[in-house]
Amino acid sequence: MTRVVGRQGRVTGRIGPGLVGEVMVPIRGGVEAFYAYPSIPDEEILVGSIVVVVEYSPPRTVYVARAVV
Amino acid sequence: MPTEIVVVGGVAIVAVIVLILLFKAIWRVAEPNEALIISGLGAHTKNELADSLGFKIVTGKGTAVLPGFQTARRLRLDSRATNLQVNCVTQQGIPVQVRGVIIYKVGDDFTSIANAARRFLDQQDSMNGAIHELFTGHLRSIIGNLTVEDLILNRERLTSETRSSAADEMSKLGLVVDSLQIQEIEDETGYITNLGKPHAAKIAAAARIAEAQRDQEATEAEQVAAAKKASAIRESQIQQAGYQAEVDQAAAKARQAGPLSEATARQEVVVQETRAAELEAQLAEQRLQSQVRKPADAKAYETVTLSQAERDARIAQAEAEARETELRAAAQASQVKQAAAADAESVRVRGEAAAAATKATGLGEAEAAKARGLAEAEAAKAKGLAEAEAAKAKGLAEAEAIRARSEALRENQEAVIAQQLAENWPQIVEAGSKAFGNVDHMVVLNGAQGIEEMLAKALTLGGTGLGLARSLLAGGTPAAPSVNGAVPPAEPVAKNAVDGAS
Repeated sequence: MTRVVGRQGRVTGRIGPGLVGEVMVPIRGGVEAFYAYPSIPDEEILVGSIVVVVEYSPPRTVYVARAVV
Repeated sequence: MPTEIVVVGGVAIVAVIVLILLFKAIWRVAEPNEALIISGLGAHTKNELADSLGFKIVTGKGTAVLPGFQTARRLRLDSRATNLQVNCVTQQGIPVQVRGVIIYKVGDDFTSIANAARRFLDQQDSMNGAIHELFTGHLRSIIGNLTVEDLILNRERLTSETRSSAADEMSKLGLVVDSLQIQEIEDETGYITNLGKPHAAKIAAAARIAEAQRDQEATEAEQVAAAKKASAIRESQIQQAGYQAEVDQAAAKARQAGPLSEATARQEVVVQETRAAELEAQLAEQRLQSQVRKPADAKAYETVTLSQAERDARIAQAEAEARETELRAAAQASQVKQAAAADAESVRVRGEAAAAATKATGLGEAEAAKARGLAEAEAAKAKGLAEAEAAKAKGLAEAEAIRARSEALRENQEAVIAQQLAENWPQIVEAGSKAFGNVDHMVVLNGAQGIEEMLAKALTLGGTGLGLARSLLAGGTPAAPSVNGAVPPAEPVAKNAVDGAS
């Protein structure tokens, strides 16, 4: 079973408080879009940032944090 | 033996065929765009979420389905699209009609497939209707949160709003929205049109300005080019005209060359013709000379010669006659003269004798008169010595003769007159012939004899004058006895008589 948590993804929709962001995560041989929320409350992550999936909430929701590059 | 083999072989083949058919009946393969939903005996997944539902989801591989105990259904995971048409109001309260399209699919994870399978497995075709209804409402709310400008320009805002409003419900349905596109916004109030108008006007103004400026520049360039072109054309035309003039000049020269040479040739012809005409004229002249003039000259010469000869003969005859007449007249005159001379001599001799006598007698008177007139003579001499001298020189002999004649007159008047006539005879004859001098042509009918008669008549006329003279003299003789004063008046009278006779 493939897992989403721990994977890196790219933000395609702005993540922030009061917003539903979007990240593209490579998984199952393809790339899927997930609804994204910040794992740290009130954190804002702009489009194009690299994030790490911290938590996965089926079916399509992930919580992400900034990837330390 | 062979039959057994055949039977065994046949059985084996049938068994293989049966096995293949069995496998075919049992084995199901999930294609990449679908998920097999297997339910029935022993069908369950490891997924704890799907566990309770009691069905197995297979994607991307094959699995055995026991006929009669299990059923396998296929759920298509394809992308689907549905059209939306919504009449709604924007955030600013502007009514718009929006047409859009939403592209969605069943989520690839087992949770989404399970959710979708439970909702749409038997009614996959009605999925579009449900999504349409769902998204009509969502779109209305989404647009209600947006302005027209956002709708047109802010794409991220649109997708963000779409996610915000539809994420949870789509998750419930196991669906994922790939894309939501607004295809068309119909604006009844003309808001969008008006929105663009300032920009359109600005752009139009800029375009017009630019166009005008470029047009101006282009026109200027065109005019400059036209001016240069006209200048070039003018230069070209001037040059062309110059060349054309040269060409025309040459052509005119060439054209004139023909007539000129023709005229020259004709001139030479005319010269030759003139020469020929002159020669012909000369020929004609020569011919005339030889045929007409020479004979005429000859005839004229003949006539002239004959006339001259005749004239000469006539002249000679006339001269001879005149000479004859003259000679005859001279002879007669000589004859008369000699006779008169003889008379005069005799008279003179007698006169001398008488004079000697008279001299002797009147010597004393003469001396007295001499003494008396001496003083007078002296006075006269002093008064007109030169005149007297001239008169003396001129008429000394005459005086002498007159004196002698005056003396003789007393003795013999006849003789004196005869003598005087004899002396003046030539003048008389001349005066007589003067009567003929005024006659241009005298036709003498009887030739020389006629002339003689005429002269004789003239002389007779003179003779008549002679008689008249004689009578006059006879009348005047007693009145002039003096030596000095009486004689001179007698002479003019005699002369007058002679003139009157002529």
